[in-house]
Amino acid sequence: MSTERRPVSNPRAKWIVSALIVVIGIGYLVAASVGGKVQLGLEMLGIAIVIALVLLLFGGRSETIRGWRGDERDERFALIDLRATAFTGFVMAVVIIGAYIYELARGRSGEPYLWLGTIAGVTYIVSIAVLRLRG
Amino acid sequence: MRNTVRELRSARGLSQGQLGEALHVSRQTINAIETERYTPSLPLALELARFFGTTVEEMFDVDGAKAGE
Repeated sequence: MSTERRPVSNPRAKWIVSALIVVIGIGYLVAASVGGKVQLGLEMLGIAIVIALVLLLFGGRSETIRGWRGDERDERFALIDLRATAFTGFVMAVVIIGAYIYELARGRSGEPYLWLGTIAGVTYIVSIAVLRLRG
Repeated sequence: MRNTVRELRSARGLSQGQLGEALHVSRQTINAIETERYTPSLPLALELARFFGTTVEEMFDVDGAKAGE
């Protein structure tokens, strides 16, 4: 078994993640513009730019920010990321199921929460099966 | 998990950052191991043991007793 591991630092990651956030913000702007809500789109793009700048400028002494932007992730931070992702998934599942029940109680179909819940459930079931096969 | 990483590192005059750099992990990860907030993976434990010229069993005490006692 090899114990060799990659260097913990990836200096390009902060630029890639920050650029991706701005691109998503531009996507919001385009979509909002198409929907006739340019002001909302500009606000969303502004928020995305602020987040990108925070990630770029304030990661020097903060392991948390470096972890968010992904440029310093060793095995411990990968575990932290995994736990955070799992917790996020749990919260989303609770919210989606709660919203679906609420919508049903109001006499509605429960969409789009029904589909979101279905996608999440199927993804989890398939992921368990695939990951088990991979060891 | 109790371990002797801090003692071994100090004996060699290394900072947490220097040890982390040598093992390709962050300074915070070394600190988390030393303060028993994080148990390293088997590859990292082996690499730590190899770095200090000892064994994983001598460095980490799974039963909670101070390693080396």
